[in-house]
Amino acid sequence: MPFLEATNLHKTYSLGRRNKVYALRGVDMSIESGEMVAIMGPSGCGKSTLMHILGLLHGPDQDLDPPATLTINGNDVTGMSEKVRTRMRASSMGFVFQSFNLIPTLTAAENVALTATYSGCKRAEASAAASEALDWVGLGEWAGHRPMELSGGQQQRVAIARAQVTKPDLLLADEPTGNLDSASTTEVLDLLRRFNEENGQTIVIVTHDDVVGDACGRVLTMLDGVIADAPAV
Amino acid sequence: MSLVRNLIRRKLRTSLTIIGISVGIWALVVMSSMANKIGSLVEGGSIYFGDKIIVSDASSPAFGLGFTPIPISIVDMVAAVPGVAVAVPQIQLPLELEASSTGFGIPEFIVGAVADADQGRETFEISVAQGRLLVPGDEGANVVVLGADLARKFDKGIGDTMAIRGSEFEVVGVLEPTLTAPDTTVHMPLATTQILLAMDAPILARQGIGSEELATQIVVYPETGADIYALAEAIEDSVAQVQTITGDDFDEEIGSATAIFNAIILGVALISLAVGGLSVINTMAMSVAERTREIGIKRSIGASRGRIVREVVVESSLIGLTGGVIGLVLGAIVVLVANEMGRSSGTILFHLTFGTAAFAVVFSTILGALAGLAPAWTAARLDPVEALRYE
Repeated sequence: MPFLEATNLHKTYSLGRRNKVYALRGVDMSIESGEMVAIMGPSGCGKSTLMHILGLLHGPDQDLDPPATLTINGNDVTGMSEKVRTRMRASSMGFVFQSFNLIPTLTAAENVALTATYSGCKRAEASAAASEALDWVGLGEWAGHRPMELSGGQQQRVAIARAQVTKPDLLLADEPTGNLDSASTTEVLDLLRRFNEENGQTIVIVTHDDVVGDACGRVLTMLDGVIADAPAV
Repeated sequence: MSLVRNLIRRKLRTSLTIIGISVGIWALVVMSSMANKIGSLVEGGSIYFGDKIIVSDASSPAFGLGFTPIPISIVDMVAAVPGVAVAVPQIQLPLELEASSTGFGIPEFIVGAVADADQGRETFEISVAQGRLLVPGDEGANVVVLGADLARKFDKGIGDTMAIRGSEFEVVGVLEPTLTAPDTTVHMPLATTQILLAMDAPILARQGIGSEELATQIVVYPETGADIYALAEAIEDSVAQVQTITGDDFDEEIGSATAIFNAIILGVALISLAVGGLSVINTMAMSVAERTREIGIKRSIGASRGRIVREVVVESSLIGLTGGVIGLVLGAIVVLVANEMGRSSGTILFHLTFGTAAFAVVFSTILGALAGLAPAWTAARLDPVEALRYE
């Protein structure tokens, strides 16, 4: 059974009363456990929308025939309540964003500990897990620094530590190298590959960057709201 | 810690909001302290008048505050009314001959009565802080027992001499504070006050009325089980030209007037607090708007709506708590300083109780929490994806 399987995912946004944007027009995809997959495609093809649905931040359109299905690690997530989806985001998913999205008033360690806290860890446990995660990404000595005191590459590594602190089954990264120079891009990709290879973590990366695509085991190409490639078997 | 950091991120705005709450709580503390003081005065009066009947001349304005002399012979007539256990003649005079402005609170009085004439029926407890109470043997002597406020005002203790209406009196006792009338009263033997009253009204002497025949009021202690109000009516029916005051009369007249006054001053304090509460709502709404992206980040990495609500509400509660504590401290300073300044003139305006202080801080914290609820709910309802796009 695939780790992640989606069929007939549609997503329609309304812009005002009349205008509708059909961001996804029937996505079918399948990802095996431990895969590192890149989703590539031109701007506006629906990559980020797909990422939001895979990350349970939005739901797909309902009442379709045949109905949309999305299964992650054996769980049918399409009918889950907002509360359960939030809990699942905290405990079994990690997110890495293009613009790092660290909380500016918190230190690196506090940023990383947030996810652990949200997943239900006690304060001391979260703090210990954050230290460990920062060590994984080579920033143990920067634990007490605020994001503005770190370089872009360092900030993204903190963001990766935050995504990894609960050791989630699935890591979703939306243009993780979009704001980085080539040296930092290499560092970030090395880290993601290491988590994929050493921990068997499933990683899905949305990217424009061919370097990122090359680093992944498989590339799904999106075009006009659908996956142009055939799903993996 | 991160909550405190969030608050000090916008120092000026947070400070102004805290000041807004502080002013409200300051007003609440000061006004409530004033209401407490009035309350304790009224309560004392209510207790004092509760189990007895005061009989005075029909022309006296109210509540024994008139000083119209009555012949002491009335005492026997009153005592003869069925249901009266003991009738004690008293003389009540203003302490100062010249009518001076005593301001807020109970005026300063001289009260003269024969010690122990009540035969142990007086239930309003007074006790001495220094020296002793008056005894029957003091009759005719120039001795006084001072209320706590007067002793402090005139800086007198036992053994000191005090000039009252041109005569010298020895202070033989100082009372414990009661927070009501006895604090501003000079207690004297009856015979001594009779002389003072006669000096005050020389026309009585010209009419051939001796000082020993004078009183200004009669305190009636009913027999056990007697209906006080029926007895009061019976006294008015049996004795000409007198009026009676009972506990109910006191509660009706003074109690209802002070209740209205209390409602007005607490209303003023609550309005200022409402303004403070609105400023908390404004601050937290702006804070939530500024942190839209941050809230989006937290929601996307797994913060529940409840956690976001809690975070915002705890922050606003912290503003309320800080404002409450500052307001309480400022209020306490005003109360202390005003009471200290007023003590010399006998004008003790405020009584800050632990209950008032605790209520002020708890109330402001709850106010802060409530004011944070609407912005918190707005924050929790944000779509994480939309919030992440917010610049």
